[in-house]
Amino acid sequence: MKKLITMTLTFAMVMSLALAGAAVAKTLNVGSMSPLTGPYAADGNDIANGVRAAIAVVQDEGGVPGFDEIKFFPQDTACDPRQAVASANKLINDEVSFVIGAYCSSSTIPASETLDEESIPMLTPASTNEKVTERGLEYMFRMCGRDDDQSVVAVAFMTNYLKGKNIYLIDDKTTYSQGLADNVEKKAAAAGIKVLGHDHVNQGDKDFSAVLAKVKAANPDVFYMSLQNSSSGALMAIQARRVGIKAAIIGQDAVYHPQLISIAKEASEGMYLTFGFIDKQRSLYKKFLMKYSEMGFAAPGAYSGYAFDAAYAAIKAIKETGSTDPDAIKGALMKMDYDGATKRIKFMPNGDSGSNYIIRKVDGGKFINYWNPETGSTY
Amino acid sequence: MEFFIQQFINGLTLGGVYALIALGYTMVYGIIQLINFAHGEFFAAGGYMGVIILSFMASMGYMETHPWLCLMGSMALTMGYCAMLAMAVEKVAYKPLRFASRLSVLLSALGMSIFLQNGLMLTQGVYDKPYPTSFTDGGFSIGMVTMSYMQVMILVMTVLLLIGLNILVFRTKIGTAMRATAQDKVMSALVGINSNRIISTTFALGAGLAAAAGIMVGLYYGSVRYDMGFVPGIKAFAAAVLGGIGNITGAMIGGLIIGMVEIMAAGYLSSEYKDVWAFVILIGVLYFMPTGIMGENVDDTRV
Repeated sequence: MKKLITMTLTFAMVMSLALAGAAVAKTLNVGSMSPLTGPYAADGNDIANGVRAAIAVVQDEGGVPGFDEIKFFPQDTACDPRQAVASANKLINDEVSFVIGAYCSSSTIPASETLDEESIPMLTPASTNEKVTERGLEYMFRMCGRDDDQSVVAVAFMTNYLKGKNIYLIDDKTTYSQGLADNVEKKAAAAGIKVLGHDHVNQGDKDFSAVLAKVKAANPDVFYMSLQNSSSGALMAIQARRVGIKAAIIGQDAVYHPQLISIAKEASEGMYLTFGFIDKQRSLYKKFLMKYSEMGFAAPGAYSGYAFDAAYAAIKAIKETGSTDPDAIKGALMKMDYDGATKRIKFMPNGDSGSNYIIRKVDGGKFINYWNPETGSTY
Repeated sequence: MEFFIQQFINGLTLGGVYALIALGYTMVYGIIQLINFAHGEFFAAGGYMGVIILSFMASMGYMETHPWLCLMGSMALTMGYCAMLAMAVEKVAYKPLRFASRLSVLLSALGMSIFLQNGLMLTQGVYDKPYPTSFTDGGFSIGMVTMSYMQVMILVMTVLLLIGLNILVFRTKIGTAMRATAQDKVMSALVGINSNRIISTTFALGAGLAAAAGIMVGLYYGSVRYDMGFVPGIKAFAAAVLGGIGNITGAMIGGLIIGMVEIMAAGYLSSEYKDVWAFVILIGVLYFMPTGIMGENVDDTRV
């Protein structure tokens, strides 16, 4: 019995030493949540890789003073609201200092409420639904643009450049895609464009022949596709060309992905897409790009750059204040005004960082900047 | 009217694909009374094997010189591969459970389905794989109705495969042995039929047809994804039940009906609810006509 007590005590002492040792080495825990599996895995992995690249760049720059290492906790939300909340809880247990994510607005919104209760800052690189930053949350930031701005640009392009008289819309019923399509429908109708129809498909559908036959019968000038996913967009583009739809096709930021061109090939030629303006000449963008390819990831997806910027800005805030206190991070983020990789990083009081949507076009197998809404002319 | 004809053609194409997948369900059920939930995965594996072989052929430059030869060759190879995969799955997951309760085999099938799907995801990645298709583009129109060459090819291939299967099952020795095993395993064993080999062959045949459907779907839609087998698999299962599970002609008819209903519902009612109809039919059939269109009896021993 005595032996047992001695052993237990020794064990407890050794354990406490180990724990104390662990406490000395200070790590900065970085969390991300995005759909790493499931239909949105392409965009989700782009986001996680963007964060990885940001951490690598920070480490190249000498790391974060006061922290021995930066640990990355990528979580899979599968674009499912329930799993997003579970991921948020896991990240809270991992004691992360901030979270980059999520991808789908329908995941970001519930997860951000869980994180906000624990005062963990969340920076979304990809959720464009207006509600993300309109709920008065203390620690919610957004790197990308907003859908209400995106729809304004899309409609301005239809009326001013394409001079479209009528439009047909298809969305796939997510918080994001349907919200955006509804916005476009409303604004197009207000701008005097006749809405011939607004149909819904299901996420993950492969066969759009029936609904596209309807579009063809309606024969619109503009065909707006608001889908959650670029591979669905590619499939729809292929089938639209196949059934002989002549309309100008406009997609949105979720359809904007290199995958669109690699799958749809010639069928994607001439498609227009709304996406934030990214100046690839910025020095931080070049740094990001180099690190990204150095780490062996495929070409950056639509949201890799924004994820990089979000993580980089948050780590920069921690560097500046030297603490992981949420209010300190928030204060530093709010004061920030520097040239990020994708845009000028400057947050507004509600956490938005401003939209800069432009129209891009698929031309010769790649995306080109096509139409600038500010000047109203092509690049 | 043109709209209707257009949707009719679309429905035939989709129905043909469902019919090819449904045959695998129905044949396996007919012979060992198992709903093989891993069957949709053979379809997905076929799609992937097709993209791998065709991409290789395209990189070697054969696609430019002999596109149709490449296509037929890759289809044959893919069907062969999936047939072997199915035989392996049968050996690993179902054969040891031949005398276990049916529920165990069903669970084993579900597990196999998840295993294969995740295997595809881990080995092939989560990104969509594009098919090297440019020669399948194009088509022709009569009036307002357009039909792509790919749709023609799917229809022709489906009809050929269905005729081939019918000849195999109803005119050859192995087909006779299959039908005999389906009717009574013990009796057929007594007259010298190796039932294990027949069961293996049945799995191989069903998976081969699913693989053909997979490669055609990949070509038609332009890409494959690791989870592509799930929804078509469930719909083909509904088609097999509708046609009368265990009955080969029934599966063909059921597939065509499910595809047609889905497309017509999307065209005339709402494309949001198009997936619902396959399952409405499934529930309706189970409730009002459990034997399906062609099924004569639901006796355990003879299906």
